[in-house]
Amino acid sequence: MKLPTGVKFSNIKMGDIMRKYKEKIMHIVFLISACISIIAVVTICVFLFANGVPAISEIGIFDFIFGKSWKPLENQFGIFPMIVGSIYVTAGAILIGVPLGILCAVFMARFCPKGLYKILKPAFELMAGIPSIVYGFFGLMVIVPVMQSLFGGSGKGMLTASVLLGIMILPTIIGVAESAIRAVPESYYEGSLALGATSERSVFFAVLPAAKNGIMAGVILGIGRAIGETMAVVMVCGNQSILPEKLTSGIRTLTANIVLEMGYAADLHRDSLIATAVVLFTFILIINTLFTVIKNRSRN
Amino acid sequence: MKTGKLMSVFAAMIIAASTLTGCGSSNSEITVISREDGSGTRGAFTELMGITVDDVDNTVASAEISNSTSVVIQSVAGNSSAIGYISLGSLNDEVKAVSVDGTEATVDNINSGEYKVARPFNIATREDISDLAADFVSFIMSADGQAIVEEKGYIKASDAGAYTSSDMSGTIVVAGSTSVAPVMEVLADEYKKLNSGVTIEIQQTGSSAGMTSTIEGACDIGMASREVKDTEIQQGLVPTVIAMDGIAVIVNNDSEIDNLTSEQIKQIYTGEITDWSEIQ
Repeated sequence: MKLPTGVKFSNIKMGDIMRKYKEKIMHIVFLISACISIIAVVTICVFLFANGVPAISEIGIFDFIFGKSWKPLENQFGIFPMIVGSIYVTAGAILIGVPLGILCAVFMARFCPKGLYKILKPAFELMAGIPSIVYGFFGLMVIVPVMQSLFGGSGKGMLTASVLLGIMILPTIIGVAESAIRAVPESYYEGSLALGATSERSVFFAVLPAAKNGIMAGVILGIGRAIGETMAVVMVCGNQSILPEKLTSGIRTLTANIVLEMGYAADLHRDSLIATAVVLFTFILIINTLFTVIKNRSRN
Repeated sequence: MKTGKLMSVFAAMIIAASTLTGCGSSNSEITVISREDGSGTRGAFTELMGITVDDVDNTVASAEISNSTSVVIQSVAGNSSAIGYISLGSLNDEVKAVSVDGTEATVDNINSGEYKVARPFNIATREDISDLAADFVSFIMSADGQAIVEEKGYIKASDAGAYTSSDMSGTIVVAGSTSVAPVMEVLADEYKKLNSGVTIEIQQTGSSAGMTSTIEGACDIGMASREVKDTEIQQGLVPTVIAMDGIAVIVNNDSEIDNLTSEQIKQIYTGEITDWSEIQ
């Protein structure tokens, strides 16, 4: 950069120019960081759709999504049982995890004695950090035998997977819901007390409804975790690719289908597994869109 | 006061849980455990037992699916009415191998041909294989290599003579089946002792992934616990059988079953027999 003649080269001016450049450079650095995550998402999309869509069109989209028979070696690629399996297990996990998680968050935010809180909070944080394969092992060694003695059969199935996933999504729900409850202004609680409600009533009917958005966010995050969970589920759900008849029937989820067969799959079988990932990806897209819609609606 | 309440809730929960678990019913309904589609073990087992007829795998749809030998063992060990099948080399005392048609699953019985449930372990190479990798293959097929194969509980596939070291150096990458990998690791260790300049890298990626990376040139030797497919051979792979592996049919240690006929096994796996009481 050429300086106009006659201007003295003072240290202050030099500093200004340096600062300006630094600003520019850092701008570019931040832009690149932001781009990398976008590039990653785009690359994943391109890879998935480039490999999956031709497979889906070869199988036929109707046969693929609504076909009830998955026998890849005999060219039967119907993933309907897996779609149903994923939805059932996730729904089960929500039924078990959400009430427990919300009540737990209420307790943590409102009723927990300080001493107990110091133990419980790190415990939940630790729960979130446990690798899913460890949860799977816990499920196989502890929940499966319990289910076996309760209901007979192999003990592996929809119910077992739901219970395990319900436990796994707890820390996500508790964490988000607790901070949402804490964010509600104290005046709601005090106002309710002043109107003559008991403490419990105030918490459940004044504070909790006010924290509804944050809690919904926690639940959606939990759903995302449940539907995408793989290693733990594969160990406890039995992995039969059939439509379940009862709660204890074995099922296979979309994620389990991919991880089970990827190592040995070749040709169209392999592509059909990538196509399964496309369906899973679409599911996540739908969930995220729903989440945004719900959030926007409640804000307006 | 508050802690007292908490304690009583816990106590009530424990009592409820223990009464619930206490009333478990004894069941003799068979829990059929199988491997995933495409698994080398499943392919061989269903073929040999007559479950696969005309390329149609008739394994009953309600069979539980596990994607690894260890989970099959774990599931059978924890369920007194389960039946499964695993590689004979992986058998341990957590579960019990049943005799098939009166013949025990042992290496000797497979060698003599009496125990019929066995499958090949394959390796595959490209035609433009490096000299070093070719030398490793010749070590595997030599008397020394095959002795290791037998020592690990598999059945040898070649009667070639002893191996003489040609003192080469370099790196060999081997990738593929998780079933073949354990014996391959021992073979690699022995080979490295004879040829000190050689590094061998073994990746456990699954049969098909191993074949694909061999075709693509990402590794020198691919391992497969199944037959190498025609489509893979067309893409330039040369298969070699390095060992035979027996498949053990396993039941829970508490099971009263010690012997099954291959017809009974077939009926169990196709869903014709669903209860242990139907087996005399």
